[in-house]
Amino acid sequence: MPFNRKLQKFSASINEVEIGTGDKAVKIGGQNVLPFYSFDGNIGNGAKVGIEISDLGVEGMPACIQACYEGCTSFADIAKKAASFEGVDFLALSLEGGDPNGLNKPTDELIAIVKEVADATDLPLVVEGAKNAEKDSELLAKVAEVLAGKNVLVMSAKEENYKAIGASAGLAYGQKVGAESAVDINLAKQLNVVMTQLGVNANSIVMNTGSASVGYGFDYTLSTFDRVRAAALGQDDKMLQMPIVTPVASETWGVKESTAAEADAPEGWGPVEARGISMEVQTAVACLASGSDAVILAHPVSVSTVAKLVKELV
Amino acid sequence: MTLFDVIFAGNDAVYGLTEGAINDAIAKYGADKAVSFPGTAYSIPCYYAVTGTKITTLGEMKDALAVIKTLMGREQELNDALFSGVATALLAELIEVLKYVDNENPYEAPCAGHLPDPAIRELGVPLVTGDIPGVAVIIGGAPTAEEGAALVKEYQAQGILVTLVGEIINQCVEQNVKMGAAMRVIPLGMDITSVIHVVSVAVRAALIFGNVTPGDAAGLMKYTAERVPAFVNAFSPLNEVIVSAGAGAIALGFPVLTNEDTFAVPMNLIPNVPVEKMNAASLEARNIKIKISKIDIPVSFGSAFEGEIVRRGDMQVEFDGSRVDCVELVQMKEPGEVEDHKIEVIGPDIDEMPVGSKQQIAYVVEVAGKNMQADFEPVFERKFHSYMNCIEGLMHTGQRDMIRIRVSKEAFEAGFRAKHIGEVLYAQIKNEFGSVVDKCQVKIYTNGEECTKIRHEIANPMFIKRDERLASLTDEAVDVYYSCIMCQAFSPSHVCIVTPERLGLCGAVSWFDAKATHNLDPAGPCQVVTKEKLIDERIGEYEDVNEAVRKFSQGALEDVSLYSIMEKPMTSCGCFECICGIEPFSNGVCIANREYAGMTPLGMSFPDMASMTGGGVQTPGFMGHGKHFIASKKFMKAEGGVARIVWMPKDLKEQVAANLNKTAQDLYGIENFVDMIADETVTTDPEELVGWLTEKGHPALEMEPMM
Repeated sequence: MPFNRKLQKFSASINEVEIGTGDKAVKIGGQNVLPFYSFDGNIGNGAKVGIEISDLGVEGMPACIQACYEGCTSFADIAKKAASFEGVDFLALSLEGGDPNGLNKPTDELIAIVKEVADATDLPLVVEGAKNAEKDSELLAKVAEVLAGKNVLVMSAKEENYKAIGASAGLAYGQKVGAESAVDINLAKQLNVVMTQLGVNANSIVMNTGSASVGYGFDYTLSTFDRVRAAALGQDDKMLQMPIVTPVASETWGVKESTAAEADAPEGWGPVEARGISMEVQTAVACLASGSDAVILAHPVSVSTVAKLVKELV
Repeated sequence: MTLFDVIFAGNDAVYGLTEGAINDAIAKYGADKAVSFPGTAYSIPCYYAVTGTKITTLGEMKDALAVIKTLMGREQELNDALFSGVATALLAELIEVLKYVDNENPYEAPCAGHLPDPAIRELGVPLVTGDIPGVAVIIGGAPTAEEGAALVKEYQAQGILVTLVGEIINQCVEQNVKMGAAMRVIPLGMDITSVIHVVSVAVRAALIFGNVTPGDAAGLMKYTAERVPAFVNAFSPLNEVIVSAGAGAIALGFPVLTNEDTFAVPMNLIPNVPVEKMNAASLEARNIKIKISKIDIPVSFGSAFEGEIVRRGDMQVEFDGSRVDCVELVQMKEPGEVEDHKIEVIGPDIDEMPVGSKQQIAYVVEVAGKNMQADFEPVFERKFHSYMNCIEGLMHTGQRDMIRIRVSKEAFEAGFRAKHIGEVLYAQIKNEFGSVVDKCQVKIYTNGEECTKIRHEIANPMFIKRDERLASLTDEAVDVYYSCIMCQAFSPSHVCIVTPERLGLCGAVSWFDAKATHNLDPAGPCQVVTKEKLIDERIGEYEDVNEAVRKFSQGALEDVSLYSIMEKPMTSCGCFECICGIEPFSNGVCIANREYAGMTPLGMSFPDMASMTGGGVQTPGFMGHGKHFIASKKFMKAEGGVARIVWMPKDLKEQVAANLNKTAQDLYGIENFVDMIADETVTTDPEELVGWLTEKGHPALEMEPMM
């Protein structure tokens, strides 16, 4: 019996969301097929890769990544350097230093960094919060304000603070909003429902449905992507058709495979840098293959590797 | 004169003034002179929002007058009155913009006049998030400066944004009320026309935050009515112009309250409100709910204190329901019967009770709300245990009339008294159930006579009524069921359909709970499932239920029955209290509960059975369920009901015996049915089981084979 190719056609599609302005603006989403299923239909804008820097500067990076930023003395330098690496589609700035349980940097100080980074690059900008809902509602509202007109993506709007972040970023200053939920399709959907009820346009929302490093409960992350995509495309669930952006670096660079020095690691593990990149690339590719439309990475080699893979497949 | 005539007269007066002012300005500057408000991208905002036309010159203002004239219908009907009010507002805006011709700052401190766009973006965010729960517009002078300032401060303390027009500004200055945007008190101006600057805030909020298209007047009014929680307090004496502007406010959905004896329009124009009641009446009229961030009690409050034990020696006083009359109760009332945040202590307070004594107490929480239902009463009541225990130095056990409360000496010395129980219950009920509770008051009785009366004459009959309702509530008696997907985080395709006679398999979600969950959190895990399209009554299959299951399982499940273990059984997540599985030798089923560690006649322990049943897949012959479901008349109804139960652990049998015997009596006329059910003390061997059941004459042996 000859092979009879059947197309898996979906009448629904993922929303297309644009981030940034001008020539360098990127669009994510837009497809009506499963990830990389270019043989089935319209693959949309293809997966995008972002590079992450933080308010902690070069010192806050893993040692092997620090080397890539040698000579950078200001946040503007770091931003320019990050933007120059091969395969970078957008810049992601994490404001982790604002965490009240950590360095607790004041909002003004962080906003100055945000402005410096935004002024130094013409790449689209994604801003991640301080991983503290209360701080984020104040901090990210301010971020949305000072970056008015730049069409940035303000991440980290959670159940606890989606009103403050949604109202400022999504309504007052016309930015894009990242709705963050904890590895559960229903929570993801619920957040999108209340966010749109608040008045935020569904086409201005992207999702972060949770993230993990490979080997660390990662299967839950993947099955959530799978189910979100299946509902969005297969059942035309409008409240799950937002593209997914997954921060990968913040997960993979903290696990022991990426941090244990060669001397301390079990025999055969090899150099720490190669391991770190491997964890990051494996996680990123698995995320893209099961439903993420964009990933946020830290090591320039990971970025170029994943970008190359995407380019070859799309 | 009718109210409409007053509005029309005020509108005409303002029209004349505006026309004159524009003509004068054109005579002075010429028709091409540019006009604008500073710092806004929305031209002359109210006019732009209503008509979609931007005005840039004095000459165009003249054209605008003609457009506004078309709003000024003069029929004695509501529509004309409201649009004349809108016309008055638009005319006021034109008068105000003329003040800005050749003058950047026509307003002097403390008055703000026009507010630029950035100020609105800044105010808009807390308005959208509810951090600013409302916007008060106060016009004119209060009877005394003290009363005026007190009202402003009352709003200020609630986080409400207050804007002031006219004499009230002088009164606030005189009384040293701190003013400014940061204080959330903004004096606009002395002229009544300056009220347009707050209307302009509401209108631009609709354009910026509501994506309302300029020119879409209906969309604008819908947005302001639904999303801008503003209201007007206009002080006597009112004139035609104020009344006419008030009609404009009403058109935008903002109620007007006044202390003057004038016309009344229910919900919209509320006359004769004394100044000291203005705050409460305004919040009620605009349906504004104030979040309570700090509970006013002298000790700490938080879940950290939930497990705290107060020992006899540390105890100031004990309320003991097992010895004297104690009771806790939630009662739904009519809105008129409840005064929000009223807390009454009836009887002696804690400091009048001997140290270490046993006392009686009865606290009744009376709630009212447009969306309140009597079915929520027990749902709230069940939370009291947790609320009370969160108080530092207080221990609470039991429920209904079997409560025991101990107050520690330390809490007493810190100043804890009976009324603070009321403060805690009030704050928690309002915070947690604010979506259905508009008003709440608490009565705390501590004298013996009253407590006895409340317990026996009010509370107990109510509890009996509730229990009867619960017992009589059948699947047939309700119009809807509820879905519950609380467990999908770890069991992705499982959906519970919760009915009055089949509670969630975890045992924790009854039909009432699911209903309350849905009402309190409409986008949450419990959704309404209709039951209009019956497919098969025998197994309890409905087209609507199937549709819901398909939707909520993201297509993983096609169809389920409510009453069968063999045909399309409902799935299980993993939280089941009990598992029921068929026992082929006896033609019956065995039930094991989670606590039971031994073996069953199926040759499986509870964990073995769980591995067959969980994970959101349909396994005919196995079913997870709550303990209460065992005595339900719908238990395996399709296969013949509870008569199929042949084996249960002894503990479980004891827990369900009374209800299960009653069900068997009602369904089959069998007395003491539970005595026919074997347990681990009888046997866990299937052959011995059949022998024993035959001896007892168990009905399952005579029934149709299940397979």
